Amino acid sequence: MFACIFIPDFSVQAIIRFEPELRARSVAVLTGRPPLEKVVALNESARQTAVEIGATKSQLETWENLVLRTRSESQETSAHAALLDCAQSFSPEVEDTAPGIVLLNLAGLEPLLGPLPKIARDLAQRVSQMRLEANIAAAANPDAALLAARGFPGMTLIPEGREAERLGDLPVDVLLESFSSGFSSDAQEAARWAETFDRWGIRKLRALAALPEVPVSERLGQQGIRLQQLARGAASRNLRVLEPRLIFAESVELEYPIVLLEPLAFLLNRMLEQVCARLRARALAAQELRLNLELAATQPNGCASFTRARTKTFTRTLRLPAPMLDVKIFLKLLQLDLQAHPPGAPIVKIHLSADPARPRALQSGLFQPVFPEPEKLELTLARIAGIVGEGRVGSVELLDTHREGAFALRHFAPGEPSPAEPETKHEVNQSGNRKQDKSMQENDSACQVGEKLEENAKETMSAVIALRLFRPPLGASVTLREAKPVRMRCLEREDIAGEIVWTAGPWRSSGDWSEQEGWSREEWEIAVSSCQLPVSSCQSDEREPTTGNRQPATGLVLYRLVQDKLSGNWFVEGMYD
Amino acid sequence: MYVELHSRSAFSFLEGASIPEELIAVCANLGMPAMALLDRDGVYGSPRFHLAAKRAGIKAHIGAEVTCTSFSPRRHPSGCELRAASFEQTGCPQLAARSSQPRGGFRLPLLVASRAGYQNLCRLLTKMKLRVGRKEGACASDLDFIEHTDGLICLTGGEEGPLAAALTQGGPQAAFDAVKRLTEIFGRASLGQSNVYVELQRHFHREEEYRNRVAIEIAESLHVPLLATNGVNYATPRERELADAFTALQHHRTLATAGRLLAPNAERYLKSPAAMRALFADVPQALANTVELSSRLEFTLNDLGYEFPRYPVPEGETMMSFLRERTREGMQSRYGRADAELKKRARRQIERELSLIEKLNLAGYFLILWDLVRFCREQNILAQGRGSAANSAVCYSLGITAVDPISMELLFERFLSEERGEWPDIDLDLPSGDERERVIQYVYQRYGQRGAAMTANVITYRNRMAAREMGKAMGFDEDTLKRISAAVATWEFKDENDALDRRLRDAGLDLTHPRMRKYFELCLAAQDLPRHLGQHSGGMVICEGRLDSVVPLEPASMPGRVVVQWDKEDCADMGIIKVDLLGLGMMAALKDSLELIRNHYRDPDKNEEVDLAHLPADDPLVYSTLQKADTVGMFQVESRAQMACLPRLKPQKFYDIVVQVAIIRPGPIVGNMVNPFLKRRQGREAITYPHPSLETVLGRTLGVPLFQEQLLRMAMITANFTGGEAEELRRAMGFKRSEARMKVIEEKLRAGMTRNGIHGETQEQIIQSITSFALYGFPESHAASFALIAYASAYLKCHYLAAFTAALLNNQPMGFYHPATIVKDAQRHGLKVLPMDVTRSDWKCSLETVASCQRPVASKSNALPDCGNLAVRLGLKYARGLREPAGRALVRERSLAPFASIQDLARRVPELRKDELATLAEIGALNAIGNSPQSHRDTEKSNGKNFSVSLCLGGESVFHRRDALWQVERAVRWSGPLLDELPEIDGKSPLAAMTQEERLVADFRATGLTVGPHPMQYRRAEMKKMGIYSAADLAHLPNGRRLRIGGCVIARQRPGTAKGMMFMSLEDETGIANAIVAPDLLHKNRALLISERFLMIEGILQNQDNVIHIRAEKVSPLRVTRAETVSHDFH
Repeated sequence: MFACIFIPDFSVQAIIRFEPELRARSVAVLTGRPPLEKVVALNESARQTAVEIGATKSQLETWENLVLRTRSESQETSAHAALLDCAQSFSPEVEDTAPGIVLLNLAGLEPLLGPLPKIARDLAQRVSQMRLEANIAAAANPDAALLAARGFPGMTLIPEGREAERLGDLPVDVLLESFSSGFSSDAQEAARWAETFDRWGIRKLRALAALPEVPVSERLGQQGIRLQQLARGAASRNLRVLEPRLIFAESVELEYPIVLLEPLAFLLNRMLEQVCARLRARALAAQELRLNLELAATQPNGCASFTRARTKTFTRTLRLPAPMLDVKIFLKLLQLDLQAHPPGAPIVKIHLSADPARPRALQSGLFQPVFPEPEKLELTLARIAGIVGEGRVGSVELLDTHREGAFALRHFAPGEPSPAEPETKHEVNQSGNRKQDKSMQENDSACQVGEKLEENAKETMSAVIALRLFRPPLGASVTLREAKPVRMRCLEREDIAGEIVWTAGPWRSSGDWSEQEGWSREEWEIAVSSCQLPVSSCQSDEREPTTGNRQPATGLVLYRLVQDKLSGNWFVEGMYD
Repeated sequence: MYVELHSRSAFSFLEGASIPEELIAVCANLGMPAMALLDRDGVYGSPRFHLAAKRAGIKAHIGAEVTCTSFSPRRHPSGCELRAASFEQTGCPQLAARSSQPRGGFRLPLLVASRAGYQNLCRLLTKMKLRVGRKEGACASDLDFIEHTDGLICLTGGEEGPLAAALTQGGPQAAFDAVKRLTEIFGRASLGQSNVYVELQRHFHREEEYRNRVAIEIAESLHVPLLATNGVNYATPRERELADAFTALQHHRTLATAGRLLAPNAERYLKSPAAMRALFADVPQALANTVELSSRLEFTLNDLGYEFPRYPVPEGETMMSFLRERTREGMQSRYGRADAELKKRARRQIERELSLIEKLNLAGYFLILWDLVRFCREQNILAQGRGSAANSAVCYSLGITAVDPISMELLFERFLSEERGEWPDIDLDLPSGDERERVIQYVYQRYGQRGAAMTANVITYRNRMAAREMGKAMGFDEDTLKRISAAVATWEFKDENDALDRRLRDAGLDLTHPRMRKYFELCLAAQDLPRHLGQHSGGMVICEGRLDSVVPLEPASMPGRVVVQWDKEDCADMGIIKVDLLGLGMMAALKDSLELIRNHYRDPDKNEEVDLAHLPADDPLVYSTLQKADTVGMFQVESRAQMACLPRLKPQKFYDIVVQVAIIRPGPIVGNMVNPFLKRRQGREAITYPHPSLETVLGRTLGVPLFQEQLLRMAMITANFTGGEAEELRRAMGFKRSEARMKVIEEKLRAGMTRNGIHGETQEQIIQSITSFALYGFPESHAASFALIAYASAYLKCHYLAAFTAALLNNQPMGFYHPATIVKDAQRHGLKVLPMDVTRSDWKCSLETVASCQRPVASKSNALPDCGNLAVRLGLKYARGLREPAGRALVRERSLAPFASIQDLARRVPELRKDELATLAEIGALNAIGNSPQSHRDTEKSNGKNFSVSLCLGGESVFHRRDALWQVERAVRWSGPLLDELPEIDGKSPLAAMTQEERLVADFRATGLTVGPHPMQYRRAEMKKMGIYSAADLAHLPNGRRLRIGGCVIARQRPGTAKGMMFMSLEDETGIANAIVAPDLLHKNRALLISERFLMIEGILQNQDNVIHIRAEKVSPLRVTRAETVSHDFH
C-alpha cells in the first residue's frame, strides 16, 4: 500500500504555519514586483469571498478582512521539509513528488505501526502537529493514492481492487493537474489533453476509464493509455525514493566555555579533520560549511550564565566557490570569518556541518596560464574581506547606465582564460582604414590638412590626463556668478579651496526618472587657484595644469566639481593629474 | 537672432516626442521667425508643421533626415551593398546602439532650398523606400544623392550625422574626408554659397565637444560655413521622459533595461535664441549662419506644384467639349422620359454647372471620375457616388451619382462654388473586397505606379494603445497589459468615471505609487501623438506627372499598392485632390444578393431579374416593414436609435427615408431638432417657420432644419449670401472651427439679415439654429444617396430574404448586428437556416431548396412572403479557425466525388489540419459524412432523395457530433501504409452524444452563432416562473408597467449625445427588447452590465407610439448557458 500526503493551497498553508492566528481568516498570497503584485494562491475562506487568482493588490484593497501575504519560498521550503520529515518518520521509502505532495510506501509497516486506517490517522495527526492541513489517501499504487489525495478532502482509504470505482467520481482535471505537475509533460500538453477530453464529453475519470483500450490507443497513443490506466487506478510504478541526506557534521559540547579564538581553532581543526575524512571516504568535497556555536547567555551584571535554557546560537555559513576538501584552508577561512564576526559570548557547544558535493575535476591546458587554485583564491578573498569589510571585495561590473561610476560588485570568480587576441577589432579597423585612406589620397592639400588634424588628434591622445577620484566625493561650498562657479571651498579639506579661474562645462546627465531613485547631476572641470595668484598668471598656465599634489608649485589645480541637481549639494569628485 | 534648423517631431515615429503644432507654438513663444522640420526619412509631419507655422506667422522650412549607408569611395550601382555593414562596422557604435536603423551608416540632414530641391527630396525618399519592403529599413547611398542634390542643402548632423560616424570610425581624417565628400556631392550654389554646413550641437556632453572642435577645424580647412543647431527631439524639457519611453519601445526594451540607449539628459528641446547665443558665444558665426541659411531656404509647401491629371481626349476635342458631350449623353439617358418641366430645369442646371466647371478648369476631374464609373459599369461593379457630389446634375448625368438633384431640389453650391476655390470632393462607394481592389488597381494601371497612390492614415496613440505601450516601456508583464487594455476600453460617451486614471485603477493599478504615477503621466503625454503610418481605407490621390515629386511614396502592406506620406486631411490641406474609393459592405451584399436571386429564384411569377436602378419606387411591404422598425440587416436604418425613431416617423415615401437616414445624427440630436420634427410629423405640433421667407427651404422638413443644404439656403435667403459664402459659413463652423473666422461670418450673417429686415428674436433664432447645427449636420445629398441603398436593402430583405440573408452573412463584418442576430432575425421571419455540412456547404453561405414543411413558423407580424422553399446553408467560412485554402480544397475535392468517410475526407484533403477537422466535427459539419455506410448513401442518392434532408426528417441523428470527433482523432493519426486502409473493427464510438447545452456551447465557440433554437428558448419555462416577459410580449403590455425582461445582450451603446445613458438590446427567441440604463445604475453595476452575456433587467415599460423599451432600475445576471454569445459593443 502507498499513502499520499497532499497539502491543498500549499503556498497559503506554508505561511499560516508560521502565523497560526491566520487560520480562521481569509488569506491571499501575492507575488510580483511592487506595485504590481498579483494573487497566486488563496485559502478556502478567501475563495468564498470571490477573490480571484490574478487580482492585483490594489484591487484587493476593497476586501475587508482579507489578509495579504507575500509568497515566501523559504517558508514553503521549510513546510515541505517538515512534510518530508513527517513521511520519513513513518516509512523509509518516501517520494518527494512536488511541493506540498509526498508519497510513501507503507508496505510491511502494518505489524509495526498498526492497521492502515490507524497509520493514516497517525499521519494526519503528525502533519497537523506541523500546523499543516493535509488530504491523506492510501491506495494499492502510488498514483491512485496521489489522485485520491488531490481529489478527496480529509482521509481516503481505497481498498485494493476498488480503485477505479472510487476514483471514478473525480473530475478529469485532477488527473491532468497531476499530469502537468507530477509527470514529465508540461502544462501545455495537459491543456491539449483537457481540450480533447472536453470535446469528447469526458468529465469524470470513470468515463475515461470506460473507453475501450484499443481505440483509445489508436487515437491517443501510449500516453492516452497511460492516462486511462491512471484513471482506473491501475497504473503501477515504483516510488522515486528520496535518498536519505548524507550528513557530515561534528558536535562538541564543552565542559568549560571558550572565550578565545585560539582554543576554538584547535577544536575546529579536529572537527574539520573528522568531517573531511568522512567526505574523503565517500569521494566527496564540501560546498558549504556551517558553524553553529551555542553561546552562554550573559547576565546583566556581565557574568556569564551557563543555564542551558538561556543560551543562544551563533551561526556562520561559508559558501565556497567550488567544492573543496582542505582542512587547513577551511580552518583559515573559519578563523578569518570569526575574526571579522566574533561570537560575542562564551561558547558552550560547537556544531560543524558540511554540505557535500562532487569534487571539482579540472584538467588545465598545457599552454594555458595557470589560474589560482579556488581554495587559495577564496582564502585570499576572505583575507581581503577581513581587512576591507564584507561586500567590498569582488569583480566590478559596470552597469549599462549614464550614471557616473555606477557599478555592481560580483563575487570574484575568474572564468577560463580565452586566447589572447592580437589586436582589438577597433584597432584592426582603424589600421585598415588608415591604409585605405592613404590609398585614396587624391588631393595633396586636402591630405595635408587631414594629416595635420590627425597629428593634432595624436597629440591630444598622447596628452592624456588622469582623473584621481575621491571616494567618497568631498562636500564643497561653491559660489556662483552668472550660473558659473567662481569660488569653491572643500568642506573636508582646507587645501582644496580658492578662486576658480577656468571652467569647462557644465556636463549634464540625468536618468532613472521612472524609478524612485532618479538622479540628475551637473559636472564642471575647474582650475582652482589655490595660492590666490592673480588671474592673468593663472591663465598663462591654463594649458599646462599642474599635477594634483597638495601643494602645487604653480598654484593651479584642476578638479572635477559636481552638483547633485536634486539636492543642490556640491562635491569635489576628483582631481586631474 | 537664431533659427532652429534641425528638429524632429513625433512624425519621426518613436524618435520625436512633440507634434509639429507644439514645436511651432514653442517656436512662436521664443520669438523665432522660422524653423525647419527634419523628420526621419520622410516629410510626414510637414503639412501640419507648415499650416501651424502659417497660422503663427512663422516660416516653415522643410527637410528630412535621410538614413544612409556610409559613403563608399567604391561606387556600386545598387547602392545598398553596404547595407549589410552595421554601424559597428562603419564605426558608429553609439548610433548602432540608439538607432532604429540596424543597417546603415548615418542620418544625413537635408534642407529644402527650392521647389526643385523639394522634388528631389521627395524622389530620393520614394526611391529608397520603394527599393525595399515595407518593414525593411530603407537607406540611401551616395549614388542616390548624386542624382538628387539640386536645391538641397546638407548639414553634417549631430551624433547620428556623417561627421560623427566618420570621426568615430576613422578619426579626424575620416571626418574630414566625409565632409569633403559631401561638398563634392552637394557642391556650391550659384552665388558661391556652400550647400554644405558643418553642424555644431551642444547638449552638455564631453564627447560632443570634442566632435565640435574637430568640426570647427574641418569647416575652416574646407571653407565650409558652421551652423549651430540643437538637434531638437521635443518642444520642452518635460517631454524627455516620453522620448525615453519611445526609445525603449523602439528597441523592444523597458526603461529599466534600455540603459545607455536612453538620452543622457533632457537638453534636446527647443531653446531660445538667448540660450543658444550663450551656448555658442565662442562661435557667433555658427549662430549668424542660421539666419543667413534660413533666408536661402525659399521653398515652402505653398509652392507644392501639384496638378490634377489631364484626361486624354480624342483629337479635335477639348476636355470641356468632351465632358459636355458625355454629360449630354447622360442627360438623355437620365431625363429622357422626364416631363418637360423637369427636363427644362435639368438642362438649365446642367448648363450652369458646366459653365462653372469650365471656369474652374475642372473638366479633367469630372472626366476622370466618369472614366472610373464607366470602368465599374463595364466590369459589372456596383458604384455609387456619395456625399455632396449628389447635389450635382452633371454627376447624376455622368452616372457618378444615383440621386436626381433636380427633382429633389438639392443645392449645387454645397458641392461646388466659385468663391471657395477648392476642389470638389467626390466619394465613390464600391462593394468592399476584391471588386474595390480591382478599381484601385485600375487607377494604378491608368496613371502609373508613380502617378497615383493611396493616402495614408496616421495611427495616433489613444487611451488604450497609450496605456498598453507605456506599460510595455515600464516593464509590465503581459497579464497586466491585457488587464489594462480591457479596462481602458471606453464608450463614446465619457464622464469622470471614464477618465484614464479611473480606468487604470479599475485594472488594479495603484496610482498613488510614484512609479504608477509616472506611468499615468506617460499615458497622458502620449495621447494623440502619431504612432505609425497606416493606409487609408479608400483615399487615392492622382497627379499630372509624377506624384513622387509632390509627396514621397512608400510601399503599402498590400502588394501592388503605394501610399503617400500624408494622411487624407493633410492631402486636402495641401490642395491635393483625392478620390475616395470606399468599400461599403452593403454594396457587396447587394451585389451578392442580386447574383443569388439570379441563380436561385426561379419563380416565373416573380420575373426575377432584379435591377437596383429600377426597383419599384413605393413598395408597400418595404414601407410597412420600415414603419414597424423591423429593420435588422437593413442599411443605415437598423441601429437601435433608428428603430426607436421609425415607428414615430412612419416612412411612407422615399424622401421619408432620406429624412430618416439624416435625423439620427449628432446634429439634429444636439440641436434638439428630432422631437419637434417628429411631433410635427405626427400632427402634435403646429408647423411654423422662423421667418416666412424660409418656408420654401424648410417646407419639406416641416419647418425644422435637418440638412446642411437647408442651412446654406437659409443663409442665402435671409442674409443674401452667395452659394460660395454659404458654404464658407458651413466650413467655418465645421470640425476645425475657428472662433475668429466664425465671428466674422456671424457678423456678416447678422448684417445681411438686418438688411433684409430680419431683426431681434427671429434673427437670434436663425443664427442659433445655424450655429448649433452646422457642426454635425448631414448633407441632404449624402442622405439621399444612402437612402437609395437603404431602400434597396429593405426591398431585398422583404422580397428575397434568403438571398439577402446569405449575402449579409457572406459580407460580415458590417452593420450593427452580429451574424448570430441576423440568423435569428431571419429565422423569426420564416427562413430556414441549415447548419454547416461538409457534404453540402460551400465556402460562403449558399441557398438550397428544402421542403416547405421544414420552414420555421414565423409569427404573423414577422412573416415575410419571400423564400418559398429556399433555405440558407451556412458556409464553411463560419467555422472558426478553418483556413480559406483548406475550406476551398474541401469543396473542390467534394465536387470530384463525395467523401466516403471521415478518414476519406482527411486523406483526400490533406490541407485540413487536425484542429480544423475537430472544429468541423464539433459543430456537426461531419455528421452527414459518417452517418451511414457508403452503400446507404448511394441508395439514398439513387432514390433521388436529398440525403441531408432525410437526416433532418428522421429526427434524432444516429451519428452524432462526438461520433465524428471520435473518428477524426483516428483519421488524423496516420498509422502507416500497412494499416491505413484497414477498417476499424468496431467503428462505433463509445462517446455520449452532446447535450443541448453542449451543442450550444460548441456552436457559439466554433461558429459564433447557432442555427438551432435560441438559448433562451430552452429556458422559457424557467423564465416564466421568474416573471420574465419575452420581447414579443412587451408590445401588448401597457405603458408604465413595472416588469422584468431577460435575454442575451446583443448590443451595448453609450452615445456621446445621450448624457451618459447606456442602451442595451436583449435578444430572446421572440425578438429584441431594449433597455435604457441611467448613469448612476451603470456606475453601480458596471462590471455586470459590461461583461455579463445574459441579463435580467427590471424596470418600467415605456411604450409610446409603438416604441418600446424598459427604463432599467435593477439588473442581475441570468444563468442561461455557458455558450459564448457575443455582444456588439460600440466603444
